[in-house]
Amino acid sequence: MAEKPAIAWRTILKRRIAIIAGALLLWSAAIEARLVVLQVFRNAELSARAERQQSRTLTSPAKRGEILDRRGHVLAYSVDAESIVGFPTEIADAAATVKSLCGALECARDERDDLMERLSRRRSFAYVRRQVSPEQARKVAALQLEGIGFLKENRRYYPNKDLAAHLLGYVGIDNAGLAGIESTYDNLIKGKPGTVLIQTDAKRHAFSRVEKPPTSGASLELTIDENLQHIVERELKAGVEENRADGASALVLDPWTGEILALANYPTFNPNAYRLARDDARRNRAIQDLYEPGSTFKVVTASAALEQHIVTPDDLIDTRGGNIRFGSDVIHDTHDYGVLSFTEVIVKSSNVGAIKVGLKLGPERLGEYVRRFGFGRRTSPDFPSETPGIVWDPSKLKERALARVSMGYQVGVTPLQMATAVSSVANGGELVQPRVVRAVIKDGRRVPVPRKVVGRTINTNVAAELTTIMEQVVEKGTGKGARLAGYTVAGKTGTASQIVNGHYSTTDYNASFVGFVPSRKPVFTIIVVMDAPHAKGHTGGVASAPVFQRIADAALRYYGVGPTLNPPPPLLVTRRDDGVHEQPTSGPADPLAIVAAGPATSDASVVPELTGLSARDALRVLGRLGISTQLHGTGIVIDQRPTAGTAIESGLTATVWLGRQPAARNESATP
Amino acid sequence: MGDSFEYAIKKDVRNNPIVREIDRDRQRELWRSVAVGVFLVVVLLFSAWQHFELLQHGYRLEQLQKQRAEEDEINRHLRLEIEVLKSPARIERMATGQLHMVPPGPDDAAVIERVVPVQPPPRSVVAQR
Repeated sequence: MAEKPAIAWRTILKRRIAIIAGALLLWSAAIEARLVVLQVFRNAELSARAERQQSRTLTSPAKRGEILDRRGHVLAYSVDAESIVGFPTEIADAAATVKSLCGALECARDERDDLMERLSRRRSFAYVRRQVSPEQARKVAALQLEGIGFLKENRRYYPNKDLAAHLLGYVGIDNAGLAGIESTYDNLIKGKPGTVLIQTDAKRHAFSRVEKPPTSGASLELTIDENLQHIVERELKAGVEENRADGASALVLDPWTGEILALANYPTFNPNAYRLARDDARRNRAIQDLYEPGSTFKVVTASAALEQHIVTPDDLIDTRGGNIRFGSDVIHDTHDYGVLSFTEVIVKSSNVGAIKVGLKLGPERLGEYVRRFGFGRRTSPDFPSETPGIVWDPSKLKERALARVSMGYQVGVTPLQMATAVSSVANGGELVQPRVVRAVIKDGRRVPVPRKVVGRTINTNVAAELTTIMEQVVEKGTGKGARLAGYTVAGKTGTASQIVNGHYSTTDYNASFVGFVPSRKPVFTIIVVMDAPHAKGHTGGVASAPVFQRIADAALRYYGVGPTLNPPPPLLVTRRDDGVHEQPTSGPADPLAIVAAGPATSDASVVPELTGLSARDALRVLGRLGISTQLHGTGIVIDQRPTAGTAIESGLTATVWLGRQPAARNESATP
Repeated sequence: MGDSFEYAIKKDVRNNPIVREIDRDRQRELWRSVAVGVFLVVVLLFSAWQHFELLQHGYRLEQLQKQRAEEDEINRHLRLEIEVLKSPARIERMATGQLHMVPPGPDDAAVIERVVPVQPPPRSVVAQR
């Protein structure tokens, strides 16, 4: 009896323990069961959901390569730009959102309606506006709108706006090149996009990333010189406005290498906002527009005639009457020139004379030279949109057509083709392929594009004869407007009626001038083609030659090409110690120079006062007196030996001290 | 039954003078177990610490990479701005409009040619003379 309470107590305890254990067992069984469901039966679904929630794979766009000029100045550059995007399913009130957005972005009515439609559709994603300015992005971000976010994209910028616009082209909203170099070399420039796998925590904060970085596109170094391009565009625009022309093109080439140093068209456009430009303004006239070259084509006729010994420069050609008849077709000269030498035929641009030479030459031989000069085919792989031009099949060329081709009609050429052809005369007869890409820079390695000679057009003797004739065109012929003080210029004018409604117009002409300068050691080949000038005159000599002259003048000065006619005595600068046995050093703190002057060009007999002059002016003054000069220091002249008023003796060397302000001379520097 | 239970509770067992003999083996075993336990806990803590440090560094790295990308982009924008400011058209506009500069005339420029010293002939040639 005494044992009973103890048994009861233990039984109760045991029962309770059993209940708890059973509950625990059930609880753990339930957990196990749930784990089996989650980890076995729903594994795939839940893994995928976790993957979606915990990691994001983003595409990181590749930066397009830069486009640089020949001196490394940036012509096209890519930076990040924000695009505003919407998530329509997360937007409760589309109308209110659109109203707020348009307040910040200043939408037009059409865009507002379009945006309303896009954000009202039950889609997960929609663009609001792409590649907005940083200020617009800030305004929209400040609104803190539900369902509106931002996306980073690349945007192409052209820092010089319309400079070289036709050459560079432009890229579309999706970063694909649509025109110009941007399109031609798109595969090279655009690079490869990368991917980034980002792992995030429950609050969507990233804590880990696996990145396959994007590969930037290659950069292109162009043959264009930014400053020269600006000069050409400035002068071309001024020329179009002066002549009230419909448009114009100009090209500057290096005749030896075929490098295009400048290519300009007017009207032009801003590639940063290419959609706003008219189609006409976006057209690259220099490579896409065909024109009948008129008398500039006589260079080809003359080349063929001289090389084939049909004529010599002094042979006389009868152009009396000033016209020539082919059936009902009468071709006139501007004047009745009478009997002219062949040189004068080109200098005065006699159509009758050129036709007579062309007829003697015959279609086969003229056709051969047309082909040699590169007409009728694309000149450069850099311009896939280049028009190949129109030339006749020589075997089908009748007498009347041959006559017209001889004076530059019934052929279609581009300004680039004509400039390339004349460059071959400038360089002694080599047809060099024109090019605009100077080098490709990828992964820090610069791969230059080599010069390519397509073939030989004429021999060097004929090129020299033709150069002399073309010099006379500028000196005393139709191209006087291209004369340039201090330089010999070789060139040829061209004037051709435009075809309007199937007939040659009597009011609209293509006026052109093509030439090279300095003619005996050419640095530039320049062509200017005016489309329908209406103000001063319609001829190449009046409308285009002055533009050529202004471009050549500025270009020669910019390139530091000294005068070739009666050049001033050269100022030869060297280190005083001549240093022939010494290695160059980083340079002394007090630069020293001896300037060996040429023969005296002034009859002054005493040394002039030089104090206050710049080093350059002092050198010029002493150089003209035939005095060699030693320079000390930098700045303006503060002292000189011999002093002003000293008689000049033969072989005198003057010493000039330069400084930033008048100061006592450093005696230790006195020789 | 009730009495015996009370007795069991109230009975004063005087076992204080009893000194238990220390079992050295068991004590060693105890210390070994404690050491192993402490070691496991330390390893566990270290592993956890490493895991959290890795996470923290991940956040930090992510933040730094973001900052770097932003700085790179600012750099690119500044370079673009420099190029815009260096535009020849803008410089010419300022030169002619604000500074009243004009293009140089023919007399304002001189072509200065540097004389390049001729290298001395090789010693062998000099010796022969």
